[in-house]
Amino acid sequence: MSNQEPLLKVEHLCQYFKAGNFVTKAVDDVSFDIKKGEVFGLVGESGCGKTTTGRSIIKLYNITSGNIIFKGQRIAAGTQGYKDAIKAAQEEMKTADAARKAELEAFIKKQKEEIKSAQHDQKHADKKLVTQIQMIFQDPIASLDPRMTVREIISEGLVIQGEKDKKVIDQKVYEMLELVGLVPEHASRYPHEFSGGQRQRIGVARSIIMNPEIIIADEPVSALDVSVQAQVINLLNELRERFGLTLLFIAHDLSVVKYFSDRIGVMYFGKMVEMADSDELFAHPLHPYTKSLLSAIPLPDPIYERQRKRITYNPLAEHDYTEDKPSFREVRPGHFVQCNEAEYRRIMEQLNGK
Amino acid sequence: MENKLHVQDLRVSFHTSNGKVQAVRGINFDLAKGETLAIVGESGSGKSVTSKAILGILAGNSIVESGEIIYDGQDLLKISEEDFHKIRGDKIAMIFQDPMSSLNPIVRIGNQLTEAMILKGKIRQKESRNNFNGYLKVLNAKMVEACGDKSREAELTEKCKKFDKFEIEHTKLEAAYNIAHEGAEEALDDIEVIAFELEKNAPGKGAADRLKDIERYAKSSLHKYVVDPEVYRAEVEELAGSLSGKFKDKDYQGLLKSLYRLKEILSTGMGKGVPNFFRMGYYVTFSGQELPDMPIDELNEYLLKYLDENFMLEFLRDAEQALAYSAGITYGNIRTAIGELEKARAAFAREKLDKKECQATAKHLGEVVKNTIDPLAITKDSVVYTFLPGLKSELESYFGGVTGNVRILRKYEKEKRKYDALVAKGKKPGWELADAAVTDLELVKANISHLIDRLSAHYEQILSTSENRDYRAETIAVIDYLMANASGVVAKVTPQIAKQRAIKLMEEVGIAEPHKRYRQYPFEFSGGMRQRIVIAIALAANPDILICDEPTTALDVTIQSQILELINKLQKERQLSVIFITHDLGVVANMADRVAVMYAGKIVEYGTAEDIFYHAAHPYTWALMSSMPDLDTNEKLSAIPGTPPNMIYPPKGDAFAPRNKYAMKIDFERQPPMFQISDTHYAATWLLHPDAPKVDPPKAVMDRIARMNERRKSNDEQPGTSA
Repeated sequence: MSNQEPLLKVEHLCQYFKAGNFVTKAVDDVSFDIKKGEVFGLVGESGCGKTTTGRSIIKLYNITSGNIIFKGQRIAAGTQGYKDAIKAAQEEMKTADAARKAELEAFIKKQKEEIKSAQHDQKHADKKLVTQIQMIFQDPIASLDPRMTVREIISEGLVIQGEKDKKVIDQKVYEMLELVGLVPEHASRYPHEFSGGQRQRIGVARSIIMNPEIIIADEPVSALDVSVQAQVINLLNELRERFGLTLLFIAHDLSVVKYFSDRIGVMYFGKMVEMADSDELFAHPLHPYTKSLLSAIPLPDPIYERQRKRITYNPLAEHDYTEDKPSFREVRPGHFVQCNEAEYRRIMEQLNGK
Repeated sequence: MENKLHVQDLRVSFHTSNGKVQAVRGINFDLAKGETLAIVGESGSGKSVTSKAILGILAGNSIVESGEIIYDGQDLLKISEEDFHKIRGDKIAMIFQDPMSSLNPIVRIGNQLTEAMILKGKIRQKESRNNFNGYLKVLNAKMVEACGDKSREAELTEKCKKFDKFEIEHTKLEAAYNIAHEGAEEALDDIEVIAFELEKNAPGKGAADRLKDIERYAKSSLHKYVVDPEVYRAEVEELAGSLSGKFKDKDYQGLLKSLYRLKEILSTGMGKGVPNFFRMGYYVTFSGQELPDMPIDELNEYLLKYLDENFMLEFLRDAEQALAYSAGITYGNIRTAIGELEKARAAFAREKLDKKECQATAKHLGEVVKNTIDPLAITKDSVVYTFLPGLKSELESYFGGVTGNVRILRKYEKEKRKYDALVAKGKKPGWELADAAVTDLELVKANISHLIDRLSAHYEQILSTSENRDYRAETIAVIDYLMANASGVVAKVTPQIAKQRAIKLMEEVGIAEPHKRYRQYPFEFSGGMRQRIVIAIALAANPDILICDEPTTALDVTIQSQILELINKLQKERQLSVIFITHDLGVVANMADRVAVMYAGKIVEYGTAEDIFYHAAHPYTWALMSSMPDLDTNEKLSAIPGTPPNMIYPPKGDAFAPRNKYAMKIDFERQPPMFQISDTHYAATWLLHPDAPKVDPPKAVMDRIARMNERRKSNDEQPGTSA
């Protein structure tokens, strides 16, 4: 799978929110790619930017900086990175000599072109292409309009895309309903008439009616009971096998993520700190935050639970990033860790020693 | 172990426009002191309704059909709302699922935390005063009676008065010491944190506040038995005063040096040992001398001798005598009561009960039973206390039923005629006919007889154990009880004290910078922090029982883990009994001593955590376990097919039968009884019947148990390598 062209590529994604003078860096320089047919899990505690990443990909926000490339086409791009580069260059110009000045001017010109191209791509992304990315939301109660029937909810995407033939719409809606384990009679009902699991199925049906290539599932099972959770996970698994769907699976329940994903990225405070195959990540966690996260999973085994010790993560005590800045490095094929030079050497020693 | 809460045959229904929803259908459980009971089940299985019934906050359309919830000698289902005010939040507290909706968004956190403390403070003080005075009065009277010597009356009364006086003095001394001791403790904690940050050369955001805290705490720790003011006053004050200035000048090395010196002083103070204030109180009140100046161990010895010689041994002897005397009278009354109960049976066993006769008998029984309550017993005897209210409410429902049943039946027949007419016409009525809700008079009679049986059996048991009562131990318990109430009298709750306590609580539940946070609004907190506030509010009144209704469902793994650890820690420290409601089996394994699995308003399996997780016996428990993935699951998850039954028309047989692949014919016809598997493990499934075919749990469950065993083994071999 490794030599395959990635379906979705996220490059240096930054998403900042401004509140007055205060800037919240919700997502800060996150890069990853998802290959076709793969399930990529994104985990981390609440507020670490998982959901923001998902929403940025589907263009619910205008991203601050970075690129999102889907099927080889850039669908979203941010400009802040270029603007910062220009500012730095202008700063330098004040003191630079003539030769350097010319160099910098050329550089600034290039950056300005980049901004233009980014703005163009951001505005004129192929609408048809973007519909191939769909999203399933966390809360099945809040994400379904209570005044619309299930038929209207599921077919909304089709109608927006210009489908007018009622027969075609009905047929497609019924098809989707059957696919997710509901019956066509349900189409004329309202969301409140369904149980939690059934509502989430409606959410799934709505997202697959556009024949998407990739689905962003934002905590699709967190709000559900255990037994219903299993139903929804099984359904997603079936759909994945049947249509070869690709999924970006965002969750905080690590057992579910481990069960469901091929690769997992761990996020902490807007940064990706570790990324690896799911088995590899759970067998050999390298970043201290990942270790702490894994030690917090409760397992249905009382004797083990009584012995389990949670490892706490304190970034101040764990890392010394005052001089040596960290970056995202590959320590094993496919296994990336956020670390600085000293830590990288230590990790490599540890890995080679084994 | 001491039983805190006893729930028996609880049935709760809700009136809705569609009919009567039977949410809880006869559940029984006990909760011991310091134990965690987890209730597991899908939503709609009646978990939350059970907990709300315990707290008396059921919705208005609910009816408690039967049952008892016994706490501290009272049946919570039968006491008035006025009485419930004294229990709810004070003795039994609850943590709700959603922290946002259980906090008031427009009131500062601090006010929400202190509200209950201030409201309850005065009442508690009054209550303690009443308890103390009342008990001492009874004790005094019994002492006089017991010794039988009129001439000693004045002497004994004088003794009791003495006890009152120095007991109050004792708690005052202790309170002052505690403030100093806590101050030293807090200061040491803070010093540790800030020293860690300073050594890394990276003081955190709250460093300045923390230094101010240290300053304040260090100054408050000056007390004769902690940090001796005669030796250290000047030094401590100078050190504490210089902290903030050095921090401002960024003189971190100098600051560290002062902190370490302060730490040294405080540590010696902490290591001194605790003086016995009870003895000290007596000495200070009656010797008319200053306390002798000697090390704490010697002082304790000296004071003990003084106290024993002058007062305590005699007082103990008299109190013990009084206890034995009072118990003797009570035993006599119990013997009479057993006879009276037998006589009264006839009145409640007639074909048709006679209202006048029954009421007269109940009144008479009430008096007889009241006499069997020992006024000197400290713990309330639930069975005796609940007998009369229980009997009264049964009689009420009987005579209510006699008149009401006729009316209900008439109405039912009218509706049935209407329904039948529609069916006869060939139409399909849009509604279904609900059964007439008549009171089963025979059942009520059986209940009354059961009440009497239980009380008689209880009396017999008391009499049979009367021989080996240890009155000496009980006397000491009495002294402890008086001491506890005396400290309640002294403990005033002013807004300042409430604030201090609230801040301490906030620290206890792990909120950083509580001084700042105290003035913030709920929306300024993250989800985990909000849940901590809710926990702090629940603990503010120092409850006996804590009910946690899915406290971590809305939180993510790390926060969940922290909150669970916090609840576990607080439970151990305060000997709380916890009822933990959740549907996450991982959380259950972490928290629970015992587990009750609920389905469709019934407990289907009940046992210790080990029983449930390693030897589950009910198909529903298997289904729950196999429907959630763990870290090693690879195969397809086996979801439970179908949905829980509609509780307006609960199924005739086993409620889980339609979704159960192991269901047998009898499952659809009759409800299974609780089969006992071991001393602690019960399950309600026909599979455990001796005639049932032998069935193994599903493969997913067996595999998981095997994996758990393996992991434990490998963990034991190489400890410390677990992920």
